[in-house]
Amino acid sequence: MIVVGLILLLLAVLGAPLFAVIATSAMLGFRREDTDLMNMALEIQSIADLPFLAAIPLFTFAGYLLSESEAPKRLVRLTGALLGWLPGGLALVALAACAFFTAFTGASGVTIIALGAILYPALKHDGYPDKFNLGLVTSSGSLGLLFAPSLPLILYGVIAEVSIDDLFLAGILPGMTMLVMLSAWSLWVNRSNRKPLSNFSWNETRAALRESAWEIPLPFVVLGGIYSGFLAVSEAAAVTALYVIIVEILVHREISIKQLPQIMRASMVLVGGILIILGVSLASTNYMISAGIPQMLLEYVTTLVASPVSFLLLLLLFLLVLGAILDIFSAIVLVVPLILPIAAGYGVHEVHLGIIFLAAMQLGYMTPPVGLNLFIASYRFDKSIMHVYSATFPFLIILMLSVVLITFWPDLSLWLVSDP
Amino acid sequence: MTPGLIAAIDRLDRFGRLLENVALVAMLGGMIVLAVGQIILREVFDTGVIWADELLKLMVLWLAMIGSIAASRDNRHIRIDVLSHVLPDSIMKASRIIVDLFAAAVCGVIAWQAWRYLQLEIEFEDQVLVDTPAWIAHVVVPAAFALVSYRFVILAVKDVGALLAGDNSEGAA
Repeated sequence: MIVVGLILLLLAVLGAPLFAVIATSAMLGFRREDTDLMNMALEIQSIADLPFLAAIPLFTFAGYLLSESEAPKRLVRLTGALLGWLPGGLALVALAACAFFTAFTGASGVTIIALGAILYPALKHDGYPDKFNLGLVTSSGSLGLLFAPSLPLILYGVIAEVSIDDLFLAGILPGMTMLVMLSAWSLWVNRSNRKPLSNFSWNETRAALRESAWEIPLPFVVLGGIYSGFLAVSEAAAVTALYVIIVEILVHREISIKQLPQIMRASMVLVGGILIILGVSLASTNYMISAGIPQMLLEYVTTLVASPVSFLLLLLLFLLVLGAILDIFSAIVLVVPLILPIAAGYGVHEVHLGIIFLAAMQLGYMTPPVGLNLFIASYRFDKSIMHVYSATFPFLIILMLSVVLITFWPDLSLWLVSDP
Repeated sequence: MTPGLIAAIDRLDRFGRLLENVALVAMLGGMIVLAVGQIILREVFDTGVIWADELLKLMVLWLAMIGSIAASRDNRHIRIDVLSHVLPDSIMKASRIIVDLFAAAVCGVIAWQAWRYLQLEIEFEDQVLVDTPAWIAHVVVPAAFALVSYRFVILAVKDVGALLAGDNSEGAA
């Protein structure tokens, strides 16, 4: 039993596809319980029983399409016009634009590629130190994860059976906290070079607004549609996808219809990779629940910690380690079903738990050894991975502080949720 | 391998890729049309199609399965890549062969089990979408896992090639 587990772990760290490792552990569990292995099929098919899951492929596709168009450039220009007059303008512009873009593209690494490519040279041109720029762009790649309609938020809602609308609201203040703390840090580091990007200009603002006129309605379509009760999350995703197709292909004509299949494929490769892990995780979760593993974990944890505060501390440590090893999507489908009952036992609200979970996993994007953003940045900007580690480190510390704040201040997450 | 065989494999690869793209475009496009159509029916005509939501969810299953076939062709399945940056290149390549064969075997088992389950669904005449035989909706699961299994065998063969050639360009993307 332990030997088999160790072999699976070894296969996983040697680079076996994660879904195959999870599927194997589920099937071994079925064998032990004398359950027919046919149930694997039943579990995988139950992907089709989950509500709102259609939102994931649709939003992912819309995000990929946006990142392939000139929308990132327009977004940077617009943010520049609106925030550029502030001292340390460009750094703030970079943070805000990245957060906004990541919310829409689902934190899949495209932010660094789409926006980093514009912002990195611009920051350098404005006289910011290279190391700061690299750290900023790398850590911004996952900023915005807590803002609607990011994929991890939706996936958590589906898996934990929590209202996605509530999660969207709950993410706002914690996400803003991260943004503000990083902005403050950026201003402090560059206190000798706090020159504004430009003076505020009505003409530039008007021009930037006009240029982005077609994209500005997007957040309103998504959030307005959902909160007016007009659209379900999956419907808002479909409207977004259709809207982005129309705007980028027919109105702006920046993407030709011939490119569409390739963009669809690229986005669906990511979605397929996530959903197949979800499918096999449904099987392993069901096995674990029928084997009473969450209860066993809860009993074990209660012997370790008694108070909710010490539980949260333990949870946070666990999530930081988890985030360093697993990507955010796998972590959600695998771990959330196990820790939900434990957290409930300590009176942690499930919406707050979701925000803690995602905020902590966000750090995983930039913690060695597997932080996705570190590798993308290293590859994209042609810097050694060690250089990216050290450039990102201060940002990692700031974000870690914000995660601690988010964890131990539940009201920050729950304040906007109408009926927690 | 003979040039003729390589050309044939190459053609097969291009054909498979095209087929995946067509299926993905059809599913994604269909989902958009279906979901937006439902909104219009509901808000404008105050009506709706009963099975639309179920069909949308089944399309997500199909998209997931076809997406994973595409992911295995592009070698983009999610892996925990902790050791590839530390281990020597040759050991890494050798272990790639093992893990890809492992994945092929696992997918083969799932494909077989899903096939068995499908027979059961046919036998019991399970239905989805009001009156459609369930096996039509679920046949994608054994088919996809069989194809993913096949892709991992091909990947393992390529891994062997990379190991023998000592080629540095091959490896984790």
